[in-house]
Amino acid sequence: MSGEVVGLWIGGILTLGIFSFIYKDNPFYKFSEALFVGVSAGYWFVVTFWQYFLPKLIDNLVLAYTVLTVEGKIDYHWVYLLGGGLGILMLLRLFPSVGWLSRWSLAFIVGTTAGLQFTRYLESNGIIQVKGTILSLFVWGDLNSTIGNIVIVVGTFCGLIYFFFSKEHKGAFGGAARVGVWFLMITFGALFGYTVMSRMSLLIGRMDFLFGNWLGLIK
Amino acid sequence: MNQENNQEVKSIWEKLLSIDRRIIFLFIAVAVAVPLFFKLSMRIPVTPVAQGTYQAIESLPAGSKVLASFDYDPGSMPELQPMAEAFFRHAFRNDLKVIIMGLWPQGPLQANIALEEVFQDEDIKAKSLQYGIDYVNLGFTAGNEVVIDRMGHSFEESYPKDGQGTPLSEIPLMRGVRNYDNVDLIFNLSAGYPGTQEWVQYAVDVFHVKLAAGNTAVQAPAMYPYVQTGQLSGVLGGMKGGAEYETLLGIPGRAVRYMFSQAVAHAVICMFIIIGNLAFFSIRKRKKTS
Amino acid sequence: MKDKDSHWTRVLSLFLFVFVSLFLGMQTCLAQEAEQAEALQDSLAQPPAPPTNVVAKDAPNDNGHALLVIWTLSADDGAGQNNVVSYQILRSDSPDGEFEVRGLVPAGENTYKDKGAKEKEDANYLPPHKDFYYKVRVRSDGIFSDSEVSLPAHAYGQWYHTGKTAVLLAVLIFSTFALVFITVARKGKKLYIRPLAGIEAVDEAIGRATEMGKPILYILGLGSADMIATIASFTILSRVAKKTAEYQTPILIPCCDPIVMAVAQETVRAAYLEAGRPDDYKQENIYYLTSMQFAYVAGVNGIMIREKPATNFYLGKFYAESLLLAETGSLAGSIQISGTDEIAQIPFFVAATDYTLIGEELYAASAYLGREPVLLGTLKGQDWAKALVMIFLILGALAATFHFQFFLNLFKVQL
Repeated sequence: MSGEVVGLWIGGILTLGIFSFIYKDNPFYKFSEALFVGVSAGYWFVVTFWQYFLPKLIDNLVLAYTVLTVEGKIDYHWVYLLGGGLGILMLLRLFPSVGWLSRWSLAFIVGTTAGLQFTRYLESNGIIQVKGTILSLFVWGDLNSTIGNIVIVVGTFCGLIYFFFSKEHKGAFGGAARVGVWFLMITFGALFGYTVMSRMSLLIGRMDFLFGNWLGLIK
Repeated sequence: MNQENNQEVKSIWEKLLSIDRRIIFLFIAVAVAVPLFFKLSMRIPVTPVAQGTYQAIESLPAGSKVLASFDYDPGSMPELQPMAEAFFRHAFRNDLKVIIMGLWPQGPLQANIALEEVFQDEDIKAKSLQYGIDYVNLGFTAGNEVVIDRMGHSFEESYPKDGQGTPLSEIPLMRGVRNYDNVDLIFNLSAGYPGTQEWVQYAVDVFHVKLAAGNTAVQAPAMYPYVQTGQLSGVLGGMKGGAEYETLLGIPGRAVRYMFSQAVAHAVICMFIIIGNLAFFSIRKRKKTS
Repeated sequence: MKDKDSHWTRVLSLFLFVFVSLFLGMQTCLAQEAEQAEALQDSLAQPPAPPTNVVAKDAPNDNGHALLVIWTLSADDGAGQNNVVSYQILRSDSPDGEFEVRGLVPAGENTYKDKGAKEKEDANYLPPHKDFYYKVRVRSDGIFSDSEVSLPAHAYGQWYHTGKTAVLLAVLIFSTFALVFITVARKGKKLYIRPLAGIEAVDEAIGRATEMGKPILYILGLGSADMIATIASFTILSRVAKKTAEYQTPILIPCCDPIVMAVAQETVRAAYLEAGRPDDYKQENIYYLTSMQFAYVAGVNGIMIREKPATNFYLGKFYAESLLLAETGSLAGSIQISGTDEIAQIPFFVAATDYTLIGEELYAASAYLGREPVLLGTLKGQDWAKALVMIFLILGALAATFHFQFFLNLFKVQL
């Protein structure tokens, strides 16, 4: 019996085990869930070691050391020592007396991410999008574009009104916020539809696996 | 007589609203599974956003280099794997060179699975494609958007070796490919973070490189603003996007085959939504009246 | 007889006339053909007019390894002989030296960016501050003509990217707003935030759990500790944990990320200390489950079915698992309060949970509950920035409708 066949059977049985939750919670589901959680944790540990820790820290430090011993130069890869140090500080959380040192690592992560993303979001998701929303409210000879542009401008404006937290939603402001809510809910409806489509696609994939790959009923 | 009938009708609505959800699950399961047994094809209308992705690849002359980033895991396979296979068929048919990479650990493995499938096609076999010359898999590297940013300066800093451990300098396809200036298009398949949004923010808007994408249906609507502003050439949305791509290529595959199941499932869901809303408003009306 | 003679005369005249006409016509056609052939030959042999006014200069807003070449189109490009196919750009480091081809652009284009590598070892290295000379060759089916050689030009890097001025202004404006309001908040001034429905339900939800004697389940989402949604969730967790400490209601926090777990433990411990119940803090209630998305969901669903919490909080970064969590929580009979900035998941939370904080409301909620000057100040700064965007939108739409291009140019970001 080849490994592929064994894999198919394990996959099929575990798929049915997870699906059994649809009926009600049962030991078969509990076993499948526990197996999934355990295997994924183990898999993630292995991936973290071989794909993150080894190539990013160990290999780079070994390279820096090699350059130092062979060529006598200080290579820029020594900077990974800083990353490794911050990682060790993170692990010090396990020791309550020095656990506070992990805040330095957290501060580094949060600070660099914020700095990296600040200008990127402002440019890509802010300025360029605002420019894309500045549209003519009347396009001569093109009714579709006229209506589309008005919808975009009004929807964006009223949506921004809804997310304005410094003023209570009353009067004309409240009316505009209400229009904004309508636009939001229509958008969420469209997103909901898309996501339902996505879920159905995943279910179709699983059904194809069960009936096609596993049971061989679909050619 | 009318009152009795009204009561009957009302109880039916109430029953429908409190139906055991397992019955609904059964309906959905049948709606999804049964069409799979029928080999029925459907007309797949193509949307402009999908056309944009197809055109971005189709307009490339032979020999152009495409950087394909596979940023998804097996959980999104049903939606993105057909797109991956269609992309490889498109690229190899047009004699494009493909540089595969991934920001998710399983991404490059998904690319290999797609390649295995595509290499079984007779017309692809006839091209005798060679690893390192026609395509290369750089594998996964950790760092998320920092990798994207770094690759704008030097691919070798993020990927000193390919997925098989060969230094980039020894790979013929990678000679002369220093950064994004040396690739003609980036094609991204994305299921979340890091994904298409990060490619737009750190590659397109910084290094002015062309990007086309395929996303899960959950993510696709969030990418439409980028298509509207021209930051994205086009986006394939979910399994339907994959089916549109296969239709444009003229090579109907899994995505097209699954569309019948998708359509039937959607029809069943629409039916339940209509019934549910009718029941809800009917009961509300009765409560108001009483 | 006379009539017969005149008839034949007419026929002969007609015949002669036709013959001469035909003969002359043939001569004309042949001549025209010869002329055309000659003209064609002439045109094939003549190369297109060379481009003029070739100017080479440093490419702006770059790192100093590119030059820009601009020229006036050939007179035969789209006019005259109309036989231009492409332009080749050639470069040399001396006006009389050997020129190498650097690029090719199609007819109709009059600019080319000669981009070189910045690494010295690279074969395409373009050194800064070194003079280069350019000429442009116009091509047409195998024949070509060259322009005059340009004046020398050298590349140099710029310290400031003028094309990103809009981004700089946006950063300065937004930062100013945030800093001003943080300062105002620190001085003790009350900054108004409108009430949010989801937040007002928090106390009620915690009270419900206490009455039922069931635990509270708090899900921080699948994001990492550096994500804004997760950070906002920590602030709300602090408030919720303080309440649960006061009411002595257990709180369960299964985590998807080890760092998030660490921060959550820290947050809850601090909250219990603040509530005066440090001994009630149970670290084992805040634990790491797994980093795999659906495995985490499977685990949390199991907790919901077994522990049957009275209240579920889903506040943070969520992806495809949002509906799975919300549906299972609904099955378990919990009251559910959710909030995420992940747009695709908001519809599910809106449909399946009792209260939803939509997008930015999650950040507003953390400011509203935490009342920290930094959070309040940045929220106010955001509001003012939004107001500015709304003004620009309206003015911009009006300007676009009446074709005032200057407004659109304000938002031009050069890539």
